[in-house]
Amino acid sequence: MTKLAQWLWALALLGSAWAALTMGALGLELPSSCQEVLWPLPAYLLVSAGCYALGTVGYRLATFHDCEDAARELQDQIVEARADLARRGLRF
Amino acid sequence: MATGTDQVVGFGLVTVSLIIFAYYTAWVILLPFIDSQHVIHKYFLPRAYAIIIPLAAGLLLLLFVGLFITYVMLKSQRVAKKAQ
Repeated sequence: MTKLAQWLWALALLGSAWAALTMGALGLELPSSCQEVLWPLPAYLLVSAGCYALGTVGYRLATFHDCEDAARELQDQIVEARADLARRGLRF
Repeated sequence: MATGTDQVVGFGLVTVSLIIFAYYTAWVILLPFIDSQHVIHKYFLPRAYAIIIPLAAGLLLLLFVGLFITYVMLKSQRVAKKAQ
C-alpha cells in the first residue's frame, strides 16, 4: 500500500471514529465535559500540527550553522564563472 | 550557531508557536473540566471561536497563497510576452 493510501486510510478511520462518537451513534453516554473536549478535536489537532511545524521551522532557522568560509568561496566561484561564461560569449 | 536576525526570528517563531499551542490547549482541552464559576473563564472567548478563528485563519492563508501564485504567474506571462 502506498503512503498516500495509508494516510487516507488512517484519516478515514479516525474521522469516522470521531464522527461516531460526536453524534452519539454508538449509544455511549459520555459526560458533557468529555463531549465538549471531543467535538473541536480535529481543529485542535490541525492547530497543534501547525504550531509544531512553525516551531520546528523557527528552531532550525535559529540553530542552523553559518558557514562564512563556504559563503565567501561560493561568491568567488560565482564571479569566476560569470567571467568565464562572458568570455565564451554568453550575455547576461 | 546562526547569527543576528536569524536567531531572533527563529526563536521568536518558537515562542509564538508555544504561546499559541499553550493557549489553544488550555482553551480546548482544560477549560471544560474547570468549574464554570472559576475566574479563569474570563480570559477565554466563547468556545465557538475555538473553531471559527483557526478556520478563518486557514482560509486567509489559502487566499494569500492563491494571490501570490496568481501574481507570480501573471508576472512570468508578461515577461514571456515581452520577450516575444
